[in-house]
Amino acid sequence: MAEPLIRMQNIRKSYGRVQALEDANFHVNEREIVGLLGDNGAGKSTLIKVLSGAVPLTSGDIFIRGKKVNLRTTSDAIAHGIETIYQDSALVTQLSIARNLFLGREPIKPPRFLNRMDQDAMNNVARDLLKQVGISKNIPPTTPIGSLSGGERQAVAIARAMHFDSDLIILDEPTNNLGVAETQGVLSFVRNARDSGHSCIFIAHNIHHVFQVVDRIVVMRRGKVVADDIDPKKTSVAEVERIITGMSDKEIRDAIADGKPSH
Amino acid sequence: MCKAQPFHSCRGLLVENRSLIQRLIARPEFGPFVLLVVEIAVFWGFNHDFLSPQNISNTLAFTVELGLIALAMTLLMTSGEFDLSVGSLFGFSPVLMWTLFNSGLTSLEVGFVAALLVAACIGLVNGWFVTQLKIPSFLVTLGMLLVVRGTALFVTDGFPQRTWSAEGSWLAEALVGDFFIGPFRIYMSLFWFIAAAIALGYVLTQSRTGNWIQAAGGNPSAARARGVNVSGVKIGLFVLSSVMASLAGVISSLRTSAANPNSGTGYELEVIAMVVIGGTALTGGRGTIIGTVLGILILRVMRNGIVLIGVPGLAYNIFIGAIILGMMALHSWLERRHQAGT
Repeated sequence: MAEPLIRMQNIRKSYGRVQALEDANFHVNEREIVGLLGDNGAGKSTLIKVLSGAVPLTSGDIFIRGKKVNLRTTSDAIAHGIETIYQDSALVTQLSIARNLFLGREPIKPPRFLNRMDQDAMNNVARDLLKQVGISKNIPPTTPIGSLSGGERQAVAIARAMHFDSDLIILDEPTNNLGVAETQGVLSFVRNARDSGHSCIFIAHNIHHVFQVVDRIVVMRRGKVVADDIDPKKTSVAEVERIITGMSDKEIRDAIADGKPSH
Repeated sequence: MCKAQPFHSCRGLLVENRSLIQRLIARPEFGPFVLLVVEIAVFWGFNHDFLSPQNISNTLAFTVELGLIALAMTLLMTSGEFDLSVGSLFGFSPVLMWTLFNSGLTSLEVGFVAALLVAACIGLVNGWFVTQLKIPSFLVTLGMLLVVRGTALFVTDGFPQRTWSAEGSWLAEALVGDFFIGPFRIYMSLFWFIAAAIALGYVLTQSRTGNWIQAAGGNPSAARARGVNVSGVKIGLFVLSSVMASLAGVISSLRTSAANPNSGTGYELEVIAMVVIGGTALTGGRGTIIGTVLGILILRVMRNGIVLIGVPGLAYNIFIGAIILGMMALHSWLERRHQAGT
């Protein structure tokens, strides 16, 4: 069997005496959208923070395409092709779309010692990316992020991850506070990202949104992964909700094996 | 229809179709520019001497000294921090330079370099406390203000330093040498100010560093996540702010032939007012050098104008306070319009 894109093995994370993750095992395959579900305090946010380099793990190993990596900072994670998109904190609202897209990796015009950004190149790439991700071409790339809607901001963040060839895009509650149409827009951006070769982890409280877009569902409970191979096409929302809220391991295995029709 | 197509960007179309005038009005510099024009017209209406070459020359001479500090403060405030110790450095640096020179320890030029280096170290300490110990810049620089001012007073016993030996020094000529362009008496410091305004305006709007400065003030965690060295940017700007305050103090000292340990008292608030009036956000993320130049001129013209038209100088702060409140209301209104995409 091919080595997954990301493999997290026996991940433990403790905050003082509180054990947030207990031997959690998790993987994401190439070109796969994984839905990560769990109740509040289940450990999914901590798992994602460990993977995105935001918090250090207490013990365990992370492998990218079979190679062990050390993700100590968010910059480490980005350098390894892991991009995390948070609902509100990924972009600088005062900066334009183009300046956000290239933040930290701005192209420089020669002579280099003048440190001058190539703003024409940035705007051109931004214009193409917005089109590619599904946003209308009519938004100028010089528009400040602050004047975009929540869905458009998610699109810009996804476009950035796609442009810089992130292998894995982690979306943390990307559909929170969005209207129905905007949610559909974001879900279509996620599908576009997968279709162009990226893998995604999709975290959302709304299970229906997860079911619409993911290839596989992983459920966490009390710091552990309790189900990692739920096929959304063969499992119902009600079944997944039961797993999240506390079925026994045997009940979970039976539920997945039963392969009840979804929704 | 726009409503049926959420990503078909009604907003984008609006932004593109805005007229030139609407875009001009939406700029943060527009309000300060109008205010400056109105101010000049009113003062000139009351007293035609307001625009006399002599008055303009005198106003410009002092304007650029505070202006140098305000330019650096603009970048620092854009990065989300501010520096209350600049006024005390304005007083301390010339005291240090003249003390070194008068005691025969160094030449005037070496004393000048030493004063700038000490200022850079003070900026470094400010930056280190703010970024590494996570103490708000208000508290750190307030503490530094007292340390620096206290040191200046202690070293001098509170007395001004002798400064008359600067005549003929090339340093004095380079910083405050004066000449006439027609009827206008121009000090070299004006050129330093213009050079600094162009250089820092370029840094803020054109350079990669400027993007990082705005990101550091707008959303530091997002900037950090993109690999921007937010702490490094802020420390660099604290150093710049201190060095510019030191340079401004030395220029003022050479021009007025005085090095008083108490000089610069209260300048920190006046400088912050200049920056904020110009349209730089107090909360960081957005800054404008052109706006700051306008803010500097607004306050200096106000100070000069109210004296010329006979308003008691002690009433100056009433006008400054009113201008700050008025401009804040205007900026807030423009910001809300901007966010609404209208």
